[in-house]
Amino acid sequence: MNFNGKVAVVTGGATGIGRAIALKLADKGAAVMIADINEKAAETTAAEVKEISGNSAIFVTDVTNVAACEGLSQATIDSIGPADFLVNNAGIAGSPGWQTRSHSTEEDWKQTYQVNVIGVANVTTVFRAQMTERRSGRIVNLSSIAGREGRPSLPHYSASKAAVISLTQSTALELARFNITVNAICPGLLWTPMWEQVGSRYANDVPAYEGMTPRQVFDTMVAEKIPMQKEQTPEDIADTVAFFVSDDAKNITGQTLNVDGGFYMR
Amino acid sequence: MEFESKTVIVTGGAKGLGRGIALELARRGANVIVADIDGESAKSVVTEIKAGGAQSYFCETDVTQQWSTDDMVETALEEFGQLDVLVNNAGVGGSPGFITRKTATVEDWQSTFDVNVFGIVNGTQSVEKYMIDRGYGKIVNIASIAGRTGRAGFATYGASKAAAINVSQAWAFKLAPHGINVNAVCPGMIWTPLWENLAEWRKLTDQQNVGMTPRQVFQRTISELVPLGREQTPEDVGNAVAFLASDRARSITGQALNVDGGIRMN
Repeated sequence: MNFNGKVAVVTGGATGIGRAIALKLADKGAAVMIADINEKAAETTAAEVKEISGNSAIFVTDVTNVAACEGLSQATIDSIGPADFLVNNAGIAGSPGWQTRSHSTEEDWKQTYQVNVIGVANVTTVFRAQMTERRSGRIVNLSSIAGREGRPSLPHYSASKAAVISLTQSTALELARFNITVNAICPGLLWTPMWEQVGSRYANDVPAYEGMTPRQVFDTMVAEKIPMQKEQTPEDIADTVAFFVSDDAKNITGQTLNVDGGFYMR
Repeated sequence: MEFESKTVIVTGGAKGLGRGIALELARRGANVIVADIDGESAKSVVTEIKAGGAQSYFCETDVTQQWSTDDMVETALEEFGQLDVLVNNAGVGGSPGFITRKTATVEDWQSTFDVNVFGIVNGTQSVEKYMIDRGYGKIVNIASIAGRTGRAGFATYGASKAAAINVSQAWAFKLAPHGINVNAVCPGMIWTPLWENLAEWRKLTDQQNVGMTPRQVFQRTISELVPLGREQTPEDVGNAVAFLASDRARSITGQALNVDGGIRMN
């Protein structure tokens, strides 16, 4: 697996899972555009990428803003070239303060959809031209096992991630004739800043987790729900992204793969 | 190389898909036991693998017999001292002569389930004790997109492949605490001896196919069904198997991955 000369764009690429994906693609030789709303963190990750593959760029991007996405597309071409791989990773779990609320508000629904679903559509729309023109491209969308079935908390998040799976399938069908594959990954339980907040909401919301610290909620869920009895890591997700964008997966499209230690089998 | 000093068994490795999987894993450095009922074809795969620089050994195996798969595992351990990966690939489309029958007979049902389901169960049962003791192992079962949903015609095969997915999940749960991953691959449209037979059968059961060569039936089916517009190859399946059998997929278990150009999206 060799991505020398390839150009990758990772949204939300500055931190967490997105950062691990950026570093993995760089490790295989790709130039990586870090598109993130957090400029400082993006610069740090871009510097790490540059150390590894020699080529990176950043663009401060709010994926909910179409003009910003268009700027990202142009900035990618100008700095490192037209995109071969697009990884739609940027995501949120609610509107500010969601982890302290026991019920989803209208703002939670709106903002989560805006970033997790419409954000994916926005970024895909601006990059598809670069890919269709060259009759080649790989898109990987980050969904979640929360999108595989309803959960006892965070309905707005689960529904948005279910929408990502559906969007992945539609985009796969739409772009197949241009030799562009579109697949999704559903990460399982990863100890990220977002999960720390999920844990605190579950401790408030779900009777079984009452009074626990976020990490205790997390460990309990790993022990109870994950057959492999291990948490997943950003590197696990990054390895699967690398597979989907490689030539090895050229005839795989429209699929959603759970990377979750067996939490959910479908 | 990723599979350097790893030992893999590929059942049904003499022809078609199994041959492709065996060659792909050998290309990545694996020692390969070609386990098949057809010694002549299997030996030619062994020769091909050795010519490529990897180690290989033929083991005459009837996957419908537990004693035979026990013997297959023993052979692998005797020849190479360890066993890392089992690929349960052996499969049939019916009992001999099925292509001449419009309706499946009891014998067709029996032999399809004997090979496609019990073959996986036997292989897995033969290897699980060794893998559990070692606390490591990868099992990849070859199902089919035919197993994703029932369709008119060829119910024997579809039902057996649905069972193959279910059996993969069952053993994924059972073996997960021992650090063993069990996954399935669902190939789509691949030009193999099995598909050639299937094309003959489709000429019997669908008027539109009358007068076509088997290859023409295959091409027609591709243009109707495959969003990416091209056939899949044994190498594609071998690449997906290599991913799932590697440590890159360490957190993936109980999953079934379609390698089908987007025919079915799961």
